[in-house]
Amino acid sequence: MLKAQASIFPKILLLDRKIDDKLIDGKIVYTIVYDKSDYSTARHVGEFIDASNKGHFDKYMYKINLVEFSDLSSSTHASVIYALNSDRDIKKVADFAREKGIIAFSYDVKNLKAGLLFSLVLEKSTVLYMNKENLYIQKIDFVDSLLRIVKFIDKDNS
Amino acid sequence: MKNKIINSLSTKIVISIGVVSVLITFVIFSVSEKITKEAFYNVELEKADLIAKTIEPLFALNIYLDMPENIAQLSQQLMENQYILSVKVLDSKNKIINEIESKEYQEGFEESFVVEKNVNQPNSTKKIGTLVIVYSNKGYKELVNKYTNMTILLLFALVVLFILYGLYVKKLLSPLVKIANSLKYYSPDKEMDIPFLSQNNEIGLISNALNSMQQKISQYSKKQKNINHYLEEKVNEKTLELREQLYIDTLTGLPNRFSMFNDIIETKDGALLIINIDDFKEINDFFGHIAGDNILKKFSNRLKNMFKGNEYIRLKRLSGDEFALLFVQKPSLESFIKSAEKLISDVEKMIFLYKKNEISIRVTVGGAYQIDRALEKADIALKSAKRQRKSFLLYDEKLNIEEQYKDNMEWVKKLKKAIEQDMIVPYFQPIFDNKSEEIASYECLIRLVESNGNVVSPYLFLTIAKKSRLYSELTKIMIEKSCQHFEHIDYDFSVNLSVDDILDRDMVNYIKQKIKEHSVANKIIFEILESEGIENYEEVSLFISDMKKLGCRIAIDDFGSGYSNFEHLLKLDIDYIKIDGTLIKNLDKDANAQVVVETIVDFAKRLNILTVAEFVHNEAVFMKVKELNVNRSQGFALGMPEENTKK
Repeated sequence: MLKAQASIFPKILLLDRKIDDKLIDGKIVYTIVYDKSDYSTARHVGEFIDASNKGHFDKYMYKINLVEFSDLSSSTHASVIYALNSDRDIKKVADFAREKGIIAFSYDVKNLKAGLLFSLVLEKSTVLYMNKENLYIQKIDFVDSLLRIVKFIDKDNS
Repeated sequence: MKNKIINSLSTKIVISIGVVSVLITFVIFSVSEKITKEAFYNVELEKADLIAKTIEPLFALNIYLDMPENIAQLSQQLMENQYILSVKVLDSKNKIINEIESKEYQEGFEESFVVEKNVNQPNSTKKIGTLVIVYSNKGYKELVNKYTNMTILLLFALVVLFILYGLYVKKLLSPLVKIANSLKYYSPDKEMDIPFLSQNNEIGLISNALNSMQQKISQYSKKQKNINHYLEEKVNEKTLELREQLYIDTLTGLPNRFSMFNDIIETKDGALLIINIDDFKEINDFFGHIAGDNILKKFSNRLKNMFKGNEYIRLKRLSGDEFALLFVQKPSLESFIKSAEKLISDVEKMIFLYKKNEISIRVTVGGAYQIDRALEKADIALKSAKRQRKSFLLYDEKLNIEEQYKDNMEWVKKLKKAIEQDMIVPYFQPIFDNKSEEIASYECLIRLVESNGNVVSPYLFLTIAKKSRLYSELTKIMIEKSCQHFEHIDYDFSVNLSVDDILDRDMVNYIKQKIKEHSVANKIIFEILESEGIENYEEVSLFISDMKKLGCRIAIDDFGSGYSNFEHLLKLDIDYIKIDGTLIKNLDKDANAQVVVETIVDFAKRLNILTVAEFVHNEAVFMKVKELNVNRSQGFALGMPEENTKK
């Protein structure tokens, strides 16, 4: 599951037409937030992404930024944020992403209800989930076709 | 009937419009069919393209996100479209990601379009795969079929419309046919009812125009008939007048030559007299033509009176001074001759008065006692009478005059041919000096050489030559050839000239020219025939004087045969007298001839004129000639005329 997300999420972020606005020092900063106990998972995810992409998401250079939930603040650099599981701090990530106007990927699809934007589940086939409420975040503009293949989730129903 | 239908105006209009319509329709349908089919094709192609375009982003996203299940699912969804026969998705390395084909496509009988689309990475232009959609042209075929059905329906509707249109045109033009039928038996004499006069359209206009034309033609025809009638009457009058003029002589009012021809044809057995007024030309010359005409009128009236009681004698005027009496019933020969003689004697007694001048005339009459070729025969008799200085001569079959005419004609032909072919030649007969018995000169005698080599004597053709006006031509030939012959021969020579030759200025000039040309003035002697009767002494004297000035000498030929005036003859300054052959021929026996010859010789000697005896045909005559002191002799006994002279 982690591998699938590590493979697909970098690709999805490139489907944002406004990705150039989110570059930090000309790079995409792929920030992975994790609970302290998940540090090694976060590192593995980072290493997997590096191994798969070798420093570039398509034409963009990227940088993996591992940040603990507790360290996440408005000063944290992030062009995109990927949240591993956490019982308490998901809301914080969602607010951070909304504030920054960046894409927030979630390891757990349930966290979308908390305000994160994207998640992925492996069922019979790979299914992408998207938080419908965040669809209209003005700083994110996905290609139309993406919206046709995702399943939408909102606060009231799954 | 079939031709009539084809030639009718309405048929032609309908056919022409039909042909044009068919052509236009054909062109429009051909073009529109091509355009429509192309459009249908493009529509179907665009449909396929649109499907590919629409679905491509989804395929792009799934390829990009590496979700083959979704690609398969999408392909499956596409195949639900009945027109899509196959969907094939390839990655950037053309490796098949997914491929689905319909059953029909697999069986391979479906015709199709193939739409191939590049699949680009979303939000990028990078190619990440290819989408190939095979789209059935079933839809295209359905559209084309619908279109074809519509077209056939439309054409059918057009044909029906066209037939209706044709019938309508036919109906519109049918009044013209009726008008034409009514005009078929039109005649200017008969007024006819022209239909549709009251119609207020083009047909009405035509009918009214024809009606107006009919009235004008009718009026014109009536006028024309009157004119024709008038002209016919005039032509008949004139024809009668001309007929009368044709057969009536305008001066005397007598029936003319044509009238006589008709009468001769109608006469079964009759006789004819032709009356010619002698020397009528002199009356005309002396008293004038008016006087001549006056006498002719009076003469014809007197002839009319002379025979008015005899219904079998018809008087005609043939030409100027020639009249005819046609006996339409043959009288006895004796009575016929008596009639002619009485006529001659009565005319001799007639005296015609013109402006106090008493003019009397004489006539010569030729008669034919047969109606067959009567005019020719009477004419021959008349000419013979004139020649023989008789007042009347009846045509006699025994005279064989016609044969003579024919013979003469043959001789004229022969002469012309001989002149053309240079077969008129001089023969030379020597004239001897009686003392020395040497040749003194030659007489050049004319000969005609026939194509077979026969040499013809002039007695056979000279008279005919004079009549046919070929004589002067012969004289010229003789002058030219004789002068040429003696140019380089040291003998005198004599050439015969007629009085007519001497009176002909052209001939005299010709003679002078030839004498000079050949330098024979001192050798040539001109023999002038005395027997012809020299009447124009002055002209002859002038000629002799001219010639003597040149050095030529003159001889009088046949002296003693004519009636010439000795006194006049002696004034002519001649050099020789050739005593006529009739005196010499029997000189040895005829004492009278001897006296005449002696007298001629004596008087010639006194005048210093040399004498020549012709026709010396034997020794006895020659001896006598010498005895009578004739200077020279010529004749067969001494020398025959020959082609050449002695050198």
